[in-house]
Amino acid sequence: MRGISRRALLQRTMGAGAVLGSGLWAPGVAGADDDHTKQCGVPLPIPFNRPGPFGPVHQYFPGPIDGSAWPTDTTGTHPEGRDPSTITNFDGFVGQVDLNFSGTARDTRTGVEDLFYKFHTDSRFIIGDFIASDQKRHKGAFAFL
Amino acid sequence: MGAHSYDPGTAPSFLLWTIEIPKGSVHVDVDAGEATLDLHNVCSLFDAFTVANSLNPLHPMGLVTSFMKSLRIEWSGIKRMRSFTNGSTFRGDFVETSARIELTITTPATKPPFTPAPEDGFEFEADPATTITNFAQIGHENNGSLF
Repeated sequence: MRGISRRALLQRTMGAGAVLGSGLWAPGVAGADDDHTKQCGVPLPIPFNRPGPFGPVHQYFPGPIDGSAWPTDTTGTHPEGRDPSTITNFDGFVGQVDLNFSGTARDTRTGVEDLFYKFHTDSRFIIGDFIASDQKRHKGAFAFL
Repeated sequence: MGAHSYDPGTAPSFLLWTIEIPKGSVHVDVDAGEATLDLHNVCSLFDAFTVANSLNPLHPMGLVTSFMKSLRIEWSGIKRMRSFTNGSTFRGDFVETSARIELTITTPATKPPFTPAPEDGFEFEADPATTITNFAQIGHENNGSLF
């Protein structure tokens, strides 16, 4: 969720290069499964990537799975398909949205309100089985936010 | 009130903006074209203020933990069905739908060194009636070694 279009910004900044990897990801276990290995693996990103401002971005913009042209993905068509999952080695269900919306924003110090503060979001759920970095099969649910 | 951009950060594996959630947060019925994502009290999101600042490992605009009180996204209304396979690494059966979002999220007031300058706190509550669906879909897929 962002007050500035994630898609537009990523597309504007494509071509720059450095190293991505903030290390700020909340450490997640491989999945909420019950086996004793659940803390030994993490889900891995899909191989697809495009240049981002600080390194590769492993994500397709939203659009039809057949890779056909769609306004939310100005990077064009994808003959290999447009996988909505961010997780590879995956078998399960995915839900994806690209939405614009607005609402009431408030400055908590001044109390000033903006009744039409705008957001854009590309959000997803990913739920099912996946092979994690420990090379074992896990079950889990994830959100791309 | 400035820009606000929420995400959970990028993993060392390069997995982008993806966090584990309780399995009960998701309900999906592809045949009916319906699904919900329902999250509450999520404190593993950052307000990076802009996408560029999120992706920049140095986060020059700062980085603070936000609090997502609630997020609910609803998918409904089948517009189109698509099936696709590339024959080797990805296949799926999806329905394209409309969607609706409810969101309540807060960024606390900040001060250096967490942001370059003091910033007032920010609260936001979405009006679901304003939702514009640019694209929405739900479905089943297989990729990678589970193709």
